[in-house]
Amino acid sequence: MSFEPTRYRDWSGTLRPTWLACWPIARTGLLLVLRRKIFWGLLALGLLNFLFVFATIYLKAQVAAQNPALSRFVNRVLSSVTGSGETYRDFMFAQGTVTVLLLALAGAMLVGDDLRQGGLAFYLSRRMTRFHYVVGKLLSIGLLVALTTTVPALILFIEYGLLSNSTAYFRENLGILRGILGYGLILSVTLSLLLFAMASWLRKTVPLVMGWTCLFVLVPALAALLRRVFDDRKWMLLMLWRDIRLLGTWCFGGIDSDREQQLLAPAAVIVAVVCLLSIIAFIPRIRAARVVQ
Amino acid sequence: MTALLTLHELTHDYGKARALHGISLTIEPGAIGLVGQNGAGKSTMMQILLGLIRPTHGSATVLGHDVRTSGVHLRGRVGFMPDRESVVAGLKGVESVALAGELCGMPRRQAMRRAHETLSYLGLEDARYRKLEQYSLGMLQRLKLAAALVHDPDLLLLDEPTAGLDPEGRSAMLALLSALAGRPGKSLVLSSHLLGDIERVCHKAVILNQGRVVGVGSLAELRADRQRGYHLDWEGEAGGFLDRLRALGADVFVDQQHTAAASRPAGRGRAMVPNDWETRTFFQEARRHGILLTGIEPVEEDLDAIYRRVIEGSVPAPIAAPSTGAATP
Repeated sequence: MSFEPTRYRDWSGTLRPTWLACWPIARTGLLLVLRRKIFWGLLALGLLNFLFVFATIYLKAQVAAQNPALSRFVNRVLSSVTGSGETYRDFMFAQGTVTVLLLALAGAMLVGDDLRQGGLAFYLSRRMTRFHYVVGKLLSIGLLVALTTTVPALILFIEYGLLSNSTAYFRENLGILRGILGYGLILSVTLSLLLFAMASWLRKTVPLVMGWTCLFVLVPALAALLRRVFDDRKWMLLMLWRDIRLLGTWCFGGIDSDREQQLLAPAAVIVAVVCLLSIIAFIPRIRAARVVQ
Repeated sequence: MTALLTLHELTHDYGKARALHGISLTIEPGAIGLVGQNGAGKSTMMQILLGLIRPTHGSATVLGHDVRTSGVHLRGRVGFMPDRESVVAGLKGVESVALAGELCGMPRRQAMRRAHETLSYLGLEDARYRKLEQYSLGMLQRLKLAAALVHDPDLLLLDEPTAGLDPEGRSAMLALLSALAGRPGKSLVLSSHLLGDIERVCHKAVILNQGRVVGVGSLAELRADRQRGYHLDWEGEAGGFLDRLRALGADVFVDQQHTAAASRPAGRGRAMVPNDWETRTFFQEARRHGILLTGIEPVEEDLDAIYRRVIEGSVPAPIAAPSTGAATP
């Protein structure tokens, strides 16, 4: 170990506001995730669905412009991509598998490792509070969710608008934009809080994946079974991803049926309760962390 | 000059357990050692000084910042090097230090530039782009110090900075800390079990025991409270001589007994004497008991001895001297 005492230089400068500490935390979280090849693989998997919808929009626009006769046929075959709110809502819903998989594997790295390996002490001994840490971490998880859902949906929306050869699409469909952002926000907030809470307790990847699988595979399977046994649609409310989708549909202004309207309020309550329980679950874990042993 | 630390009736409870008992202290800037056994209250004190926990009663200011109300801003002026492994796994060395700078409020570019400077200063120039998982323990210690130094704090709080270092690394770390402590406007508080570390770096020590300050001051001041002591070397049957010294009020400890030339018994020991003791008493009593004093020198108390004296209230229990003064191999 060699050092030169004379080489030490003082630093003088203005320190930035404390709340800005959230951004380096979020950025570092994303950096850590994107440094692993497996996550690039998952993102690429998510990109497949995106590329399919992207290509469909392009194809339909090209056919409509060059061969209107064929356009009717293409529209009938590719009827799921219409440029309406449902197109984007269904796209974001379909991204669920990849998003959930991505989060299950990233949770330990983003939150669990900090609690296991002293990263939290690193953060908390700086010019910030536990609140900044939590917000920064939630932001990084939320950005990951947005990267697989909201951002591609926005790109598709822009693509559809640009290929329609008129700005009217954007003007007339501002509700869709609100829907994408609203659905994306609900997805990001709910999944961030849930992942943070689960990762703060389970910490390691394997238990986290098991817990996550339980929540997003076993519980929905159980819900489907109960629905069939009792012949009651309300059991479907146990499917968190569907509840979020229902709220997303509401954001797009697309709830038409009475049946969906009836389930909307309970779904909102369930999502809110999940968020609240997540907050209640992770607070003691973060409070318990000690900087000085 | 603003005091480095001002503690007034500082008390902290964990539930029913009291960790700190009404500590009042004012310490001027400089290098301060924090000494105490496990459970003495060092960690609690460090957490309060970092503004991470609020004291149950009393007040504390660090560099003029009230720890109750300005904990976050305080950490902008304080650099903390924790004892435990506290790194963000997966980052490279320079990224980790730059992140520490950014979290302390530095703009990103300046934090990165400063991270390079600090790592070079600490001899980690070649390891900057290595992942932290590939760092040795000694390198991690230096990295933690770099992360504590990156925003150029006025006060460094160091928790066992030489833990796990090899002798060479330890020596270099202490030299580094001494150099840092010597810079104008810089202070450090060093918490360590290794009293030699504190003695080498700090000019002042605070001794904690069971949540109370039992000693504070420069090493010279702490030594001033001690009993005077002498190392004695003798030849001859010393039993009567040592008993006489005890009768005159000295605490006598026999460290070693052996046989000198011509099968004459000899020994070495320490005598802690009252303040009004005159050195010539040793010679008078030696002559009276027919023994030869071959060496006499004052005992220099190091921090370890001061610590033991202050904590235990006395030096180690005396070894019973054989009344006959018979030599033992």
